[in-house]
Amino acid sequence: MSEPVVTLCDAGKRYIKYDDPAMVFGALRLLHRGGRSDLWAVRHLDLEVRSGESVGILGRNGAGKSTLLQMLAGVTAPSEGSVRVGGRVSPLISVGVGFHPELSGRENVFVNGTILGMSRQTIERRFDDIVGFAELERFIDTPVKFYSSGMFVRLGFSVAIEADPDILLVDEILAVGDFAFQLKCYERMQAIRARGTTVVVVSHNLGALRTFCDRGIVLDRGRGVFDGKMFDAIGVHHDLMTVREESAADDPTTTAREEGIAEVVDAVLTTVDGQPAAHIRAGDELLLTMDVRALRDIDRPFVGLLLRTTDRDICVYSDSTIAMESPSLHAGQVRTYRARFPVALPTGSYSASMTVHRHVDDYRHALLASSPVVSFYVTGRPLVGGLADLRASFTAGVEV
Amino acid sequence: MTTMPEPAGAGPRVPDTSAGFELFGPGTPVRALLTTTWRTRAVLFVLARKDFVARYRRTSLGLLWALALPLVQAVVLAAVFTRVVHVGSAVRHAQGGPGFSYAVFVYAGIVGWSYFSSTMPAASTAVVDNSGLAGKIYFPRLMLPLLAVATGIYPLLISLGLLLGMALLLQHSVGPEFLLVLPATVLTVAVTAGFGVALSALHVYFRDVRFVVQAVMSVLFYATPVIYSLANVPSSVRLLLALGPMAGPVELFRMATVGADSAWPQAVAGGCGWFVVLGAIGVWLHSRFDRVFVDRL
Repeated sequence: MSEPVVTLCDAGKRYIKYDDPAMVFGALRLLHRGGRSDLWAVRHLDLEVRSGESVGILGRNGAGKSTLLQMLAGVTAPSEGSVRVGGRVSPLISVGVGFHPELSGRENVFVNGTILGMSRQTIERRFDDIVGFAELERFIDTPVKFYSSGMFVRLGFSVAIEADPDILLVDEILAVGDFAFQLKCYERMQAIRARGTTVVVVSHNLGALRTFCDRGIVLDRGRGVFDGKMFDAIGVHHDLMTVREESAADDPTTTAREEGIAEVVDAVLTTVDGQPAAHIRAGDELLLTMDVRALRDIDRPFVGLLLRTTDRDICVYSDSTIAMESPSLHAGQVRTYRARFPVALPTGSYSASMTVHRHVDDYRHALLASSPVVSFYVTGRPLVGGLADLRASFTAGVEV
Repeated sequence: MTTMPEPAGAGPRVPDTSAGFELFGPGTPVRALLTTTWRTRAVLFVLARKDFVARYRRTSLGLLWALALPLVQAVVLAAVFTRVVHVGSAVRHAQGGPGFSYAVFVYAGIVGWSYFSSTMPAASTAVVDNSGLAGKIYFPRLMLPLLAVATGIYPLLISLGLLLGMALLLQHSVGPEFLLVLPATVLTVAVTAGFGVALSALHVYFRDVRFVVQAVMSVLFYATPVIYSLANVPSSVRLLLALGPMAGPVELFRMATVGADSAWPQAVAGGCGWFVVLGAIGVWLHSRFDRVFVDRL
């Protein structure tokens, strides 16, 4: 096993927030330390990365991913512990940063390459490769202010790769390029890894992470909570995304919530053959199983299934009233409800929950209890996007 | 940002450990800061040239503007002070000399002053202004004010050419003392760099610096002998004004053309003092906060 190229030893990064940002108080602050609060973005983090590894970093917003990346880039020093990086780091410079909008793509390659530590001769020698890989031959003499964000990313990625770093840091960026370019990046990243370049990726795009990285590190509130195979890391990440206390009470069709009538004993999301359902492919079927205990007699209860995207903007609701006879429940009785549904969804993170309701009268019903929200990740079919995967079929006819 | 090693070919990769770093606690030692900055000086000039060139992009005259602006300034000065008004008499009286031209006298002051007044504010906010880049990639942040200082050298060189032209045209004689523009330029850039390096670090923590600089700039214009001669001011404030940051460079530019005031040694010593003191403070601040500036950007 090779020497580690990155070693973090009990590393922590503290940010200090001041309640009053005014300068007069700023001067006073030097004298006494009141009015400030500490925020540890990362704490007690130990990490070793060896040459040629590709590591993905996962975590919710604010988990410390960007701070970790900044420490690896050497941009910020840890407040406690140490960070040792044994090689040349090249960050993939994001859209607009390090590019001069008025200058042409050609000039920016030189500026950006110089910033990344390439000599003029090296850039000249690799210039055609850089431009060719970015597929920008036709636009290389155009000022980059006219570039699309995709073109920016392609050029940035090309320069960063050709800078031939020991450690390549990738922050979120690849989501911007189109699918074909992502594949090209993937191939190129495999190639540089074979030469021993280490790749560290931070992304919310779990699909990209799973493609690019073998090893996954999950951060939660600044602590490393998991370090292992990327596949398992995504599972851990999803568990963290599952907020146990969260209720589904904002279910769109519910008119009232009634407490003390029913409770959810257990809920589990699996594939139809009982496997844990952290990773799903579009077209698979899922089974959400929920055990409900009645605390009082319930006349013809019914259950609902609620799917949400993780940003909670879009939800899909469906309930059992039309599909299932719903015998009444007696107090103390436990019944298992199952919702089996096909995953007709594009790539992304989703959450599922089940709810129990009763009819109040012919028109209204009440929410009695809801299951914990369970997250899962769908690997959709390529080039499918939007709300749902329609699985449309297309035909082409010849006009007469 | 060291110079690139060649690709290792097909063999196993040997990490370029000289480019690695170890971080614990905030500071960067002064020596490491200065050697890294020195190693990356090539970057400085590439970026400075690009910044300078980019400034005139998409204008129809392009780089000609870099020449046109100081040219207009010089022509107006010459026209006003040789044909229209004769403010220069007090100065002429003090400085004497038969071939004395007040227009050249003022322009010699303006060359140094306009470099300082346009470059120093930019340098003093350089770290904050480049937060986007600074947040992504490490390089000594000391380079950012130095970059602003270096970018300003191009227009300064153009003004020097115009100063020579003006001296030839209006004074008819330019002696070998014109070579003194070299130390004058060096001192101008050094003092500006001293201010820029120190203030750019302070500005990260005290954003008021930007406005303090603007305010001080307008005062400093009158406290620097740009349009008047030190010989004209009462002796009680003469030494004080001679010790101002830009007095030294201005007197050196004068010495190269129309002749300096007798207080020039004090002025030059003052300028060197500003450079040494501010430079030392600035380098210390940068060495202390180099890797944590970004936390406040």
